Amino acid sequence: MTDISKDAIAPPRSFLSQDAIQVFYRLLAALLICAVLAVLSDSFLSLGNILNVLRQASLTFFIASGLTLVVLTAGLDLSVGANVALSACIAGTVIHKTGSPALGILTGLACGGIVGLLNGVMVTALRIPSFIATYGMLWVLNGLTYWYMAGETLHGFPAGFRQIGSGYLFGLPIPVYLLLVFLGIGTLFAQRTIWGQEIYAIGANPVAARLSGIPVARRLLLVYAVSGTMAGLASIIFLSRLNSAEADIGESLTLPAIAAVLIGGTSLFGGVGTVFGTFIGALILTLVLNGMNLLSVSANWQPLVTGIIVILAVWLDMKTRRRAQ
Amino acid sequence: MREAAVVSQPNPLQRIPGVAIVLVLLIALFSTIAPGFLSVANLSNVLVQSTILTMLALPMTLIIMTEGLDLSMGAVLTLTSLCVAIVSLATHSMLLGLGAGLLVGAAFGFANGWLVAIVGIPPFVATLGTLGMAQGLSLIVSDGQSVVGIPHSVRDIYSATLLGVPVPIVMALVTYAAFHGLLYHTRFGTYIFALGGNREALRYAGLSPNRLLIAVYAIGGAMAGIAGLLMTARMNSGHPTAGLGLEFDAIAAVAVGGTSFERGNGWLLGTLLGVLSVGVLRNGLNLISLPSSVQVASVGVLVIVALFLDGLRSRA
Amino acid sequence: MSTAALAVEPAAPTPLLELRGISKEFPGVKALDDVSFAVFPGEVHMLLGENGAGKSSLMKVLCGAYRADAGEFYYGGKTVAINSAADAQKLGIAVIFQEFSLVPHLDIAQNIFLGREPKGRIPGTIDRRKILADAARVLGTIGFDIDPSTIVDKLGVAQQQMVEIAKAISQNARILVMDEPTAALSDRETELLFALIARLKADGVSIVYISHRMAEVFALGDRITVLRDGRRIDGVRPADVTPDQLVRMMVGRNVDMTYPRNFADKPGEVLLEVKGLSATTGISDISIEVRRGEIVGLCGLVGSGRSEVARAIFGADPVSSGEIIFDGKPMSGEPDLAARRGIALIPESRKSEGLALLRSVGDNLVVSALRKLFPSGLFDQRRAQRTSDGLIRQLRIATPGARQTVGLLSGGNQQKVVIGKWLAAGSKLFIFDEPTRGIDIGAKSEIFALIDRLVAEGAAALMISSEQVEICHVCDRAYVMREGRIAGHLARNELTEENIVRLGMHHA
Repeated sequence: MTDISKDAIAPPRSFLSQDAIQVFYRLLAALLICAVLAVLSDSFLSLGNILNVLRQASLTFFIASGLTLVVLTAGLDLSVGANVALSACIAGTVIHKTGSPALGILTGLACGGIVGLLNGVMVTALRIPSFIATYGMLWVLNGLTYWYMAGETLHGFPAGFRQIGSGYLFGLPIPVYLLLVFLGIGTLFAQRTIWGQEIYAIGANPVAARLSGIPVARRLLLVYAVSGTMAGLASIIFLSRLNSAEADIGESLTLPAIAAVLIGGTSLFGGVGTVFGTFIGALILTLVLNGMNLLSVSANWQPLVTGIIVILAVWLDMKTRRRAQ
Repeated sequence: MREAAVVSQPNPLQRIPGVAIVLVLLIALFSTIAPGFLSVANLSNVLVQSTILTMLALPMTLIIMTEGLDLSMGAVLTLTSLCVAIVSLATHSMLLGLGAGLLVGAAFGFANGWLVAIVGIPPFVATLGTLGMAQGLSLIVSDGQSVVGIPHSVRDIYSATLLGVPVPIVMALVTYAAFHGLLYHTRFGTYIFALGGNREALRYAGLSPNRLLIAVYAIGGAMAGIAGLLMTARMNSGHPTAGLGLEFDAIAAVAVGGTSFERGNGWLLGTLLGVLSVGVLRNGLNLISLPSSVQVASVGVLVIVALFLDGLRSRA
Repeated sequence: MSTAALAVEPAAPTPLLELRGISKEFPGVKALDDVSFAVFPGEVHMLLGENGAGKSSLMKVLCGAYRADAGEFYYGGKTVAINSAADAQKLGIAVIFQEFSLVPHLDIAQNIFLGREPKGRIPGTIDRRKILADAARVLGTIGFDIDPSTIVDKLGVAQQQMVEIAKAISQNARILVMDEPTAALSDRETELLFALIARLKADGVSIVYISHRMAEVFALGDRITVLRDGRRIDGVRPADVTPDQLVRMMVGRNVDMTYPRNFADKPGEVLLEVKGLSATTGISDISIEVRRGEIVGLCGLVGSGRSEVARAIFGADPVSSGEIIFDGKPMSGEPDLAARRGIALIPESRKSEGLALLRSVGDNLVVSALRKLFPSGLFDQRRAQRTSDGLIRQLRIATPGARQTVGLLSGGNQQKVVIGKWLAAGSKLFIFDEPTRGIDIGAKSEIFALIDRLVAEGAAALMISSEQVEICHVCDRAYVMREGRIAGHLARNELTEENIVRLGMHHA
């Protein structure tokens, strides 16, 4: 009986402008946090701190951008942090052994990509729910990394390689340029390619997507592989910035990445969200953590705050979705 | 209208093979390659070490039966373990420490249940959020340091025996008996089957699924509180990362034990065998001097295989 | 005729339950409009109406799931209120839902007494011996001989329905509401159910029975109430009406709606050839052929394997043996392959399988044509917009624009969107699975005109429908399925409802 024509009730609505409004709200929130911090702390507006925020946000963004695609398909990748750790350790070893940063970078990206692909295989071919499959993968990777490193720390990398994470170009940190590049690529991929469109369609209704002729399994493989590769990229930036690699570097990365995606307005239920939103999400999260730091709140508070932010973001998403329905 | 011919009797024995075979194979494997595995001392060690996991895996079974998940259990256990340590250190009372652990654990369980049932957040994300919160609180209350010098009354829990049986094993057995009774012989247990199998049926029967769901998660949190006492006793200290990742072993035990992630099909005895499988696997790998990292990885593989088989079975 | 039938109520002067002037409104829809309805003790009361006529709304008001906006309830002549499921239960009203309210991994006894378990000695526990004995007694009263400790998951559909009925009886139900109870039953199981209904009737239980099957209406019914568009059209006795009259009441006009169809003189070349197709979903040895310019019907009872044939051809279910030749070349693989070769599937459940309801009309229209519209792989919003605007005009989809959320359209317009996405993709063979389900008559006629135009332009169509009238009027010829196999083929001149039913029936 719901079939009786209701066409006249709702005015035409544009999803693009809906997205734009959502992003706009988040930009406002980011600015508001900036204003508050500027008042509370003298050092917030210093150039050094702002560049630091941007660099920090870019690290979260690299992981979160790939994750955004996964969440758009209504999936989740809990293994990204552990993936960063393993990729960083393997890439670091390759650089040490061969002396070639290029080879190390390639290995890091490949390692991340392969892990992502394995996640994709578990989700598509073995049909394990993504959060369980990638959670299992998290512990497998953790185990592998600790076993491989055996408590050692790799450090001391060629100066050229260290430039990637800690160098500057025209006064801006190099990771910020990388951030802009990948923000552009990610947005183009999601909004302006047919694969992007198909990913949105899969997230909105996987069954209908398959019966509309979309190769769902192949697209999911792609999405998880991209998420893994972006974790690989993040591992390179980490390696080059910290100038060292340890088995435990990934442990505090997953939750912030998920938080960035969710704050950015990407729905856990799939089909809604943008890569740009995730960038804003990463910025907001970094601002909050940076602000706590400036106000001399112990770093011990960070997981607590991130956890609260994750729950608040999902709650907000559910509220807006309920209103939309 | 004789229909019985069509119906096959429910036979729990049909389900034993999966997890029992895993356990027997693991025992066979390690008795051949790991020297000293079959000694009484070592086997008793496996049992004692499995007690904390039992305390988490049993409530995890109930939670998974409701088509839920609790990723926060390990972090909550860490926090409750710290609470036990701090409170018993301050008051010199084991019971007050246990009370504090229970309270904090149940509060987190209640929060999980509230987020899942009332707010409606998918369980894995809700409990991922509370995982972060519990982990953060652990760091905050301990300031990142171990809490040492806890009273003997706490430490003795782990080493004492009752009629020659180590107290932790007695506690695990009592817990198992309690959960068995709860799930199979009470109304509440019946409703847990319905929470995962057909929530509508509960509503038609005039029961509130949300309240039941909150209760199930709260039980999980409270059990993490009791397990926290054992953890503190075992380590003779409170440590801010002591139990992180233990929820994964618990999920592994449940999955290997044949509880399905769909339709409220749970099996407590299977979980117990699953706990032993994980315990034997870790102990055996330890005996052949493989580091704990490899143990973690192999438990991960165990889970993925178990879930894959679960998927095959539910499709068949 | 109606007033006469109601007035001549001989045996029981007061109805057991009476609803007067019930109205129920949802945003934009009047689901029930001043409906009155009475159930007398020990009668089977048939509730008839098309999809969306208000049957299920009335049922939900009856069992307390919906609260009526206006109207009165009388039980045994006294006014009562039904505001919740508990109220309805207290009055002895129980509903046997199509989707069962059973818990799969509990046993029969636990299911029957869910929420009402006999208390054991220790607080919170269940008296196991008593619950089994009570269950056995209830099962005995409906003549269902089975061990009450059997896990429900191990039962067949018919047995689960028996448990469902036992559950209702155990709550001292005086009025049982059954919503198409035979939909999933075999003939033998249906007979058992009918025997049980007779038995319940003899015990004085009243039954409100919703059905689409004419034969059941006349075999079981003591009285018939017809609903249409949320209003009560008439109340009659089976002896006083013919099936044709009933259909006319349900539809509100003469049955011969217009089926726009221009039959071609001779069909074109073979487009689809299926040889000996079998799949694990229960179909075996299917051989059919569809030519360009033809609409070929695929009929048979619900559950005879029609949709499974469609899904197998489209690659949605794996094929275990046999051959599919499309456009001269063999085909096997996933739906994306079939779609790229030019096959379109318009699935039966439009909302869950055909559309992304929360996305826009435009997004849904281009989703299958992305590769064709943007061969470079780069998506162009303006091009997509032009394509969907064109389709909206061509198909006359009633929407304020391409950016409207598709879930807000009416059923008929949603169906047009599903068809439109395959037009955009340039499909050659359209497989329709119940294309007119849940669609009002005006839109039906439009959909058929659309299908006719498609095949006139050289495409081909394979059409599954439970409405035999549609098959007879629209199809060039038809295959009839029975129990997963092709039971027969009917050429244009043999295509009558009678022949379809004869071939599709089980020969027990």
